[in-house]
Amino acid sequence: MLEVQGVSTRYGQISMLRNVSVALGEGEIACLLGPNGAGKTTLIRTIVGIVRPVAGSILFRGERIDGLKADQIVKRGIGVVPEGRRIFPKMTVEENLRMGAYADWGTREVESRLEQIFDRFPRLRERRRQIAATMSGGEQAMLAIGRALMGRPKLLLLDEPSLGLSPLLVEQIFEMIQAINRQGTTVFLVEQNARKTLALAHHGYLLQKGEIVGAGTAAELGESDIVRHAYLRA
Amino acid sequence: MPPLEVILQQAFNGLMLGVMYALIAVGFTLFFGVLDVIHFSHGDIFTLGAFAGLSLTFLWGAVGLGNPAVALLLTFLGALLLTGLIGVGAERACVKPLAKAPPLMTLLATLSLGLVIREAILIFYPRGADPKPFPAMLPQGLWEIGGVVIRYENLVILAIGAGAMVLVDLIINRTRVGASMRAVAQDAEAAQMMGVNLNRTVDFTFFLGSALAAVAGILNGLYYSEIHFIMGIMGGVIGFSAAAIGGLGNVYGAILGGLLFGVLQTLAAAFIPRGSEFRDVVAFAVVMVFMVFKPTGILGEKTIERV
Repeated sequence: MLEVQGVSTRYGQISMLRNVSVALGEGEIACLLGPNGAGKTTLIRTIVGIVRPVAGSILFRGERIDGLKADQIVKRGIGVVPEGRRIFPKMTVEENLRMGAYADWGTREVESRLEQIFDRFPRLRERRRQIAATMSGGEQAMLAIGRALMGRPKLLLLDEPSLGLSPLLVEQIFEMIQAINRQGTTVFLVEQNARKTLALAHHGYLLQKGEIVGAGTAAELGESDIVRHAYLRA
Repeated sequence: MPPLEVILQQAFNGLMLGVMYALIAVGFTLFFGVLDVIHFSHGDIFTLGAFAGLSLTFLWGAVGLGNPAVALLLTFLGALLLTGLIGVGAERACVKPLAKAPPLMTLLATLSLGLVIREAILIFYPRGADPKPFPAMLPQGLWEIGGVVIRYENLVILAIGAGAMVLVDLIINRTRVGASMRAVAQDAEAAQMMGVNLNRTVDFTFFLGSALAAVAGILNGLYYSEIHFIMGIMGGVIGFSAAAIGGLGNVYGAILGGLLFGVLQTLAAAFIPRGSEFRDVVAFAVVMVFMVFKPTGILGEKTIERV
């Protein structure tokens, strides 16, 4: 589904990612763990084409996407819940959701997807005409996920969707991610919450200072020394 | 206190001016909202719109287009298209290449472009230094209601201006490209992650803003029956001030600011002895007061970076 091969990026003179490789099979949930500033968000931004890699290649469903513009990349079937959710603050809930299906704007298809999202998140239906910025953090997280699903993605990238939410909401978000995955969407989940994430993911990667320092199944990662010391404090 | 009919007359005249200012101001505010730039040659794009319209009227005369309504429509459409494309060219030449440079560079580049446009009209338009008579293309005649004179042509100018604003509102709020403009204005990166083509959105924004300036330019020609190659200096300064009063980035604010500026100018002429000589002084003084006490403008939310 997604293959990131030896990708390096720079920000000016500073090297951000170094020789990062990540692979996701169809239908999987893979996770990316790592501390703040490790480059997790940079990797997401590189996959969707906001950041251009200086080396390496990125393949989505067998085709190279590195070097394409962001709008061309996401059109191929990648949905994003960006770091900090990045909902459109002055738009209503419904307008935000419609932006998620921007490529299919104005088609009947969008209306039926909208109904499906409202069925999945009844809360969003209630708040349909509300300005997005005035919603609570949990509702905004749901909106960001709903918006990403509006494009019917084959691959869903989630960048710390649980950040700043109460434990109960975090639980809900993780259940949702699992449900979305069971319906056939491949998921790449970036998180700091290692324990919960490893319980959900099939396999994962550990990123530190721009380099992949660990990879394996969720069980392997959970038992690795780095993860145990850095994240699980066990 | 001047008589009531004088006040009403001046308020109506102010509305006329205000509509033209508002059309220029909307361009400034769109560019700022979507791209965070202040396009200082926008006033000269307004001049270009007027000259494009004037040139087209000669063309219709040459090909023997008789129907005045059709000629008027084609003048507007042609000038809109031409000026819109020139606006896109201005953006590609002076704004986009400097996207990562300090804002001061964009300011200098667009200021210089304005100079280039003015000089180009001066040199290349036949007898470009002279004021050019603009043909009367609107129905003549007037109503008098309680001492207030309302010319038919002024009503048409108001209607065209108002129509253009309604159209902009519909484009921004009801269309796909409008949604992409709002999305980019609110969060350009998130917009791209939703599939918005950033370049296309920016191009369209400049097309729309510049086409509106062309509408203002032609209306200006129809109203004063005359256009001049330096009219864009004042037009640009007033349009920018109006956008700033309204709150840069807010379309409704720009419209409000434009109308306010026009009415202020004409009421100053009515209330202050020899006021018509001081109307700009009064109007700009109000702008200054606004900037001191409400620097984000009437409807503005964004903080304005000093340039």
